[in-house]
Amino acid sequence: MKDQRLETRVDTQTIKIEARKAQVYYGTNHAIKDVDVDILDKTVTAFIGPSGCGKSTFLRCLNRMNDTIPSCRVEGRITLEGEDIYDPRVDPVQLRARIGMVFQKPNPFPKSIYDNVAYGPKIHGLTRNKAELDEVVESCLRKAALWNEVKDRLAAPGTGLSGGQQQRLCIARAIATSPEVLLMDEPCSALDPIATAQVEELIDELRSQFSVVIVTHSMQQAARVSQRTAFFHLGNLVEFGETGQIFTNPRDPRTESYISGRIG
Amino acid sequence: MTRVSLFAQDARTKSRNAAEKRFRAYGLSAIVVALLALVWLLVSIFGNGLPAFRQTFISFPVTLDAAVLDKAGNRNVAEMAKTTTIGYAKLLATSLEAELAAKGIDLGEVKSKDLTKMISEESPATLRNRVLADPSLIGQTVQVSVLASGRIDGYYKGRVSMESAAKDKNTSPEQLALADQMQSAGVLSMQLNPGFLTMPDASDKRPEAAGLGVAIIGSLYMMVVVLVLALPIGVAASVYLEEFAPKNKFTDLIEVNIANLAAVPSIVYGILGLAIFINFAGLPQSAPIVGGLVLTLMTLPRIIIPTRAALKAVPPSIRDAALGVGASRLQTVTHHVLPLAMPGILTGTIIGLAQALGETAPLLLIGMVAFVRDFPGAPPEGLFDPAAALPVQIYNWTQRGDPGFVERASGAIIVLLVFLIAMNAIAIYFRRKFERRW
Repeated sequence: MKDQRLETRVDTQTIKIEARKAQVYYGTNHAIKDVDVDILDKTVTAFIGPSGCGKSTFLRCLNRMNDTIPSCRVEGRITLEGEDIYDPRVDPVQLRARIGMVFQKPNPFPKSIYDNVAYGPKIHGLTRNKAELDEVVESCLRKAALWNEVKDRLAAPGTGLSGGQQQRLCIARAIATSPEVLLMDEPCSALDPIATAQVEELIDELRSQFSVVIVTHSMQQAARVSQRTAFFHLGNLVEFGETGQIFTNPRDPRTESYISGRIG
Repeated sequence: MTRVSLFAQDARTKSRNAAEKRFRAYGLSAIVVALLALVWLLVSIFGNGLPAFRQTFISFPVTLDAAVLDKAGNRNVAEMAKTTTIGYAKLLATSLEAELAAKGIDLGEVKSKDLTKMISEESPATLRNRVLADPSLIGQTVQVSVLASGRIDGYYKGRVSMESAAKDKNTSPEQLALADQMQSAGVLSMQLNPGFLTMPDASDKRPEAAGLGVAIIGSLYMMVVVLVLALPIGVAASVYLEEFAPKNKFTDLIEVNIANLAAVPSIVYGILGLAIFINFAGLPQSAPIVGGLVLTLMTLPRIIIPTRAALKAVPPSIRDAALGVGASRLQTVTHHVLPLAMPGILTGTIIGLAQALGETAPLLLIGMVAFVRDFPGAPPEGLFDPAAALPVQIYNWTQRGDPGFVERASGAIIVLLVFLIAMNAIAIYFRRKFERRW
């Protein structure tokens, strides 16, 4: 297991998602205040912070999953490649095909492993025939480092896999629609250390094709997998910068307190 | 502090243990009482009702005399129809008399007229229909198996005794004695009676001929109407309320009203149906379509409530997963939520249908209580023909004077119970079959 990889450098400066003065309200509760974040292409960005600081809320704003919560209201400007994702002309369904998501608890559909991965390409009409679909399923399962374990039982139910395998299946499902950005909401919190290591390794490989945003409770994880880190506290973005700098030389005293374990 | 032995119970422990024992005794006695009541019910229903599935038949050859049945001799059905059931009754009596003479049974006190009375009044009509349907039978001698009259049948089912027959103007001890002789000669016997399930209702005087045929078809038609209307409407309403509708005061109001509608006494739906479907829409009375519509109204809330519960029970993580890969809300519902909720929906639907099947009160108000002897036609037109319904038929039979209808009513209850148990078994089967873990 590669432990601290603080030396990893950011490879690109292309901005995929740009948030400016983003505000989120739950009813009257102001959950996210004035957040400015740039998510770079082919980069792993980690959101860290104590529980209830709003990092998951903000993550779910990026592909409009918060739309399903009636009391939730988003203000400010969040753009994907310059286009405002909260523009009334945007259909969240199309948006979510381009910004995939992996959830905290592995949530495979109670269908076969094959159908889990094939579902996204099917509903978006990404493949023309069965052979192409088979290819997509195989390549996604390979990318998710799951192919060798499940290639003989693609018809078996996805819910029958172990926790770590289920989460990798969910990652395969998320990348099957060829998204540009992959959002991961504490993807390892329900996994044991071995499964966590596998998923972390996978995230690092995914970086070559996608931009990855990961919310994590574990600072070690953020340090291991990410190139850029954002620290949230009480709904504010306290500090955002290169992971190495955040962990070795934080500018804000709150960041320093958190990463050294004094708050949180 | 003094040391207390663990082996000795203190006063508090004793009283707590006693309270627990009392509580268990209450619970156990409640269950025992309930079970006893159930056993009593089943024993009395089956004891009374099973005889309805067997009937006394008299079998003998009948010579279908052309001189009586086809006076013109041209086998023209329209002209043959002029011979009424009275003619056929005489024919049956003559043939029976001849058969008894051939078997060496002395009629004794029993006159020819009384012999006719031992045969069900229904039998001449049955024979007449048979002949009119197949005129080539005329001139032949055919073996017939006709229903014995209700009193003779009652004698073999323990309802009628020599003493009661002496006071009864519908039968006499001599007839019963003759019946015994006929039984030993093999002319009269107790047989399985499929007619109980296939024949239509019969008049007050002919309990032996009364069957559930029309009632079963009427109930079946109504269940089809309920299933076809209530399942899609109920599921669509539930899905809309649960997955799409905004949560506000208006939807809260709808929700409260659905819960209240499920508790509205069913006779109220009967009045509603009478006012809307018959008086306003002008649909015919006694028709399965109206019964089905009324029962649909009654069943809808009973389907919506369990369907919504089943939809609520689908974990939100499944919805997140589907939305997360870019499924629309409708796709999320149809591809993932509905299949997972299906066992609950089907169970709710079948139990709702079973309740509707046993419902009597609303059907009384829309005229299903009428005496219907003609089978309704094939659907869809048949849905507008008059028909009976199983529970109403039971109610009807319990109102009748002839003691022969007591076993009919109990027998019909057995049939209804069998249908209900079958439907519940289907519900359990579906629940097991579609149950998945996630």
